[in-house]
Amino acid sequence: MFILTIILKYILTNLKEHKLRTSVMLLSILLSTILLFVSLSIGASYESAQKKMARGMTGSATISVTTKDSATGISLDDIPDLPEIGVKVGIITGSAIYHKEGYYESMDLIAAEIKALNQINKLRLVNGEEITDFSGNQVILPDRFTSKFSIEKGDLITLQVKGMPVTFEVGEIAAYDTIFLRQTRGTTALFPLDTLRKLVSQTDGYNEILIEPAKGVTTAELKNALQNNMPNHIYDISEIVNEAQIAADARQKSMPFFLISFFALTISVFIIYSSYKVVTLDRLPIIGTFRSIGATEKEVTKVFLFESLIYGLLGGLFGIPIGMLILKFILRGIGKTLSNGIEIPVIISPLSIILPFAVAMVVSISSSWLPIRRASRLPIKDIVLGRVDEKHVSNKATILIGIVLFIISIILPRIAPKSMLYPAGGFSLLGLITAAILNIPLITNLISSGMERLYEVIFKGEGKLSARNIRDNKNVTQNIALLFISLSAVIVISVVGNFVTTYIIDVFHGAELDGLANGDMDQSFVEKVRNMDGIKKILPIYIMENSVQANRNNLIRLEATDNLDWYSSMFALNYSNGLLEQAFYEFHHERNILLSENCMDRTGISVNDIISLSYNGMEYRYRVIGSFKSRATDAEAVIPSYYATQDFGMQTYKLLAYTAVDPEAIIIQIRDLFGETPNWSRTVKEFTTDALATVEAFLQPMHSMTWLILLLATVGVINNLLINYIQKRRSIAMYKSVGLSNRQNIQITLLEGFSSGLIGAVIAVFVSYLEIQTIFLVAGPKITMVPELKHSTFILAGIAGIVINLIGSVAPILKSHQMKLVEEIKFE
Amino acid sequence: MKTLNSQVAIEGKNIVKYFPSGETNTKVLQGISLKIMQGEFISIMGPSGSGKSTLLYILSGLDSPTSGSVYINGTDISHFQDEKMSRMRRQQVGFVFQFYNLIPNLNVEENIMLPLLLDGKKIRDYRKQLDHILQMVGLLNRRKHTPRQLSGGQQQRVAIARALITNPQILFADEPTGNLDSKTGLEIINLLKTINHEYGQTIIMVTHSPEAAKSSNRIIIIQDGLIIDNESGASYLQSSNIYSPPMSSGMFYGHEQHQA
Ligand SMILES: Nc1ncnc2c1ncn2[C@@H]1O[C@H](COP(=O)(O)OP(=O)(O)OP(=O)(O)O)[C@@H](O)[C@H]1O
Ligand SMILES: [Mg+2]
Repeated sequence: MFILTIILKYILTNLKEHKLRTSVMLLSILLSTILLFVSLSIGASYESAQKKMARGMTGSATISVTTKDSATGISLDDIPDLPEIGVKVGIITGSAIYHKEGYYESMDLIAAEIKALNQINKLRLVNGEEITDFSGNQVILPDRFTSKFSIEKGDLITLQVKGMPVTFEVGEIAAYDTIFLRQTRGTTALFPLDTLRKLVSQTDGYNEILIEPAKGVTTAELKNALQNNMPNHIYDISEIVNEAQIAADARQKSMPFFLISFFALTISVFIIYSSYKVVTLDRLPIIGTFRSIGATEKEVTKVFLFESLIYGLLGGLFGIPIGMLILKFILRGIGKTLSNGIEIPVIISPLSIILPFAVAMVVSISSSWLPIRRASRLPIKDIVLGRVDEKHVSNKATILIGIVLFIISIILPRIAPKSMLYPAGGFSLLGLITAAILNIPLITNLISSGMERLYEVIFKGEGKLSARNIRDNKNVTQNIALLFISLSAVIVISVVGNFVTTYIIDVFHGAELDGLANGDMDQSFVEKVRNMDGIKKILPIYIMENSVQANRNNLIRLEATDNLDWYSSMFALNYSNGLLEQAFYEFHHERNILLSENCMDRTGISVNDIISLSYNGMEYRYRVIGSFKSRATDAEAVIPSYYATQDFGMQTYKLLAYTAVDPEAIIIQIRDLFGETPNWSRTVKEFTTDALATVEAFLQPMHSMTWLILLLATVGVINNLLINYIQKRRSIAMYKSVGLSNRQNIQITLLEGFSSGLIGAVIAVFVSYLEIQTIFLVAGPKITMVPELKHSTFILAGIAGIVINLIGSVAPILKSHQMKLVEEIKFE
Repeated sequence: MKTLNSQVAIEGKNIVKYFPSGETNTKVLQGISLKIMQGEFISIMGPSGSGKSTLLYILSGLDSPTSGSVYINGTDISHFQDEKMSRMRRQQVGFVFQFYNLIPNLNVEENIMLPLLLDGKKIRDYRKQLDHILQMVGLLNRRKHTPRQLSGGQQQRVAIARALITNPQILFADEPTGNLDSKTGLEIINLLKTINHEYGQTIIMVTHSPEAAKSSNRIIIIQDGLIIDNESGASYLQSSNIYSPPMSSGMFYGHEQHQA
């Protein structure tokens, strides 16, 4: 017991004396806990926000009931009282057009009992107040719309309803959130129930009833219950959204955060472990002394474990509250835009608290336990005499395992069945990192052997030595491993982050398109546009919405073009299943049709089928020559223009896509050309800017998190370099004793820093490339966009790694200048 | 057997060394003067804490004196700046430590060649010399081993080889056998003796072992930072009562003994 007290006292003084090292270690535990907590929480919050966005207006309602005969309304009493039903809300819908300065904005008008509506989707006003006294000719509009057209609360606006102008007063402005969220373009406007009833002449009942399942009831159960209790020939009962699809999409979009968590975890494990290893090594003489004066192995271990327990507890106890503050701060960072953007619900799940805490504790304790156990196996005499240098393991087995793991990690996500893709991807990510770490000694040795020759020629003996020093050197290996993990974290997160940003914002990504005009256009209109100055390509398109059936399935949107080549490039069609060159050529000569992959899934039609397109009681046989995915068009099917006019009597174009030298100038002329005809005409740039404004706040957390992980990486690298110096101090002294001058020391240290930085960077670039491949293999099947790998990301990260290492070499250089040679050599 | 020539290898003049400790200074060396001729094999002995190591570090340029000077080959090294001092260290002197101080990640060969490498020499020009030294220290078949694969005695041989590879003016050794069992220690001493004997290598060694000191041709005794016996060390050895066999150091090289 006495000895325990002595050791404890020793540790306390040690903490006091090695303030820097202790604080770096505590900081890394703390940061890891924080980062893990914040990224898990934001990931969850973000995922739920994505789900919310995907659900849009319907909120927590999942079933929609309408009458088959759209002329008759449906009343709330038509829905039987079933225990599966939670809330039911009657909705009146209508449509209108808003026109201002050449812009035409289509509007979906909705009305419902506000109280009921709030239960499934709570309305949020910009001024933070509750709605009172909402009646008469009032309307509530989302700020996304009002800010675009500079409309204030109390203003009057005129809408074209069924071709008639009606004027309303803007009663309130709401956040672009909850019921106003939408996936399609246009705007949702909320009206008082009675007002909209009159406007769309729906005097009794509703157009649609939205139902939220009771607690614990699934959507499928609810749907079943309703179908069993309501006459199916009168009512249409449908699921509003595809829950599974929404969940998958949301997970995909919050992927960067989970990646951040993943890397935060790996980096923390590494930093904490290596810190402890060195601290123990540094304390070996003391351990030996204690042992030699009679402390048992158990007692020594207990004290050290106790110490790490305290670190872990501190990390966990402070990390999570600080994490909550940071979480609030990051989500508040959206503060300014919070009122007019999408509110991100803060979700703190038990997992996001328990996991970081557990990690802090488990990693701290096991990291300290391993080196101590190793130390306790050493003969006391060796410890006391300070004759313990680290064993260097160039175990063939380790290398073999590393290589096998590497190969498996590359292959697995490529051959895994669809259902196993996520686990395979996870394994592959972890496997790639582990394999790299296992093989770093081998790779480093190989590269340094090459460098040794090269450097000898360029830098003489100092060069040879610095290259040689990297070889068989555990400190260097460890440094490279940490640098590699940090750099690849930064690379992977920024690539995936950028990808997700582009993916969310830029639906026209990869589309060779400058602008779109939506409205009724005849041939002469098209010719006028074709003759405008600076026009490059112009593509008029016929559109048939909900009027043609393919094998009895309603086609939501059928488009027709006379130039499939341009159509493909302008809307970035992705023929994932391949499309023969010949098909392009033949397309226009026969009744051919291309279907979107979603449409094929929905209808069960496959490529090469002959299908029937029915329209107005007539049927035509078309051959399916291919399938496509596209984010730039909602078209479910594409046919040749010629047959659209022949079979379906198309005469008026609905859509005009163009590319031009000055897209802005063209769109202004097009709006002019439309005159009073309603149209929706935008340049792609304008469209993307609008989209960005909405989701910018949403993406902010991702950027903050990337910075945080960089911070953690930096702390890790500094920690490591510090450790490195502690371990190198003695060997620098040895070098000096045989005649190493300060100048030579600077040269060797810098070269060493540069070389190990270079090796770390090269491995990081290589492995993160593979990791990105894995990530997109896993996420890929559902994504229609190819990730863009900018060389600059990789090169910059590599340079950053080298620079970090060079900067890190400065401290050892300065310190060894002041080194008391004799004192380092004499072993205290 | 080579004869001693009468050139001074190293000379210390009134060396004083203080270590600041709190308010007062510890006077470790209180004015030491000594002259060592080329080809001599000197043992420095004295009680623990008397300043032996400190003196050796100062003589070899690993540390600098508070006052006084050290001449190696007639040049005062005590005011050398880092660059010159480093060059002196790798060209003029070799140092063997009690704990070997080998670079753990370099193998035997590389450890030995280290001073040459630092001196900008081409390794391949020194292959013959390396083989010769390896043979001399008996490690020809251990050249690719790393220090931790060697025994203590073998490591000390590597350290000696490293100290000799540059053909230094003087070889310093601070308790080279202090960490070895007596049999291995004796082997190391015999090796030093051979080197001194056959190549006329000047050696200055600190040792606590009368056995080891016996092999040298002069013993210098230090006590409380002063030289108390510059000649044979007989009185010290007798008074400390740790030496039983009759004093014989003078017998071996009696005719070569030099008066300082
Ligand atoms: N860096 C230092 N700071 C303060 N005092 C020192 C320092 N180095 C040595 N001393 C003191 O100088 C004195 C001589 O030390 P030195 O190491 O030269 O003794 P030594 O004769 O080699 O002893 P030993 O036979 O035990 O090796 C000792 O009293 C020691 O405490
Ligand atoms: Mg000593």
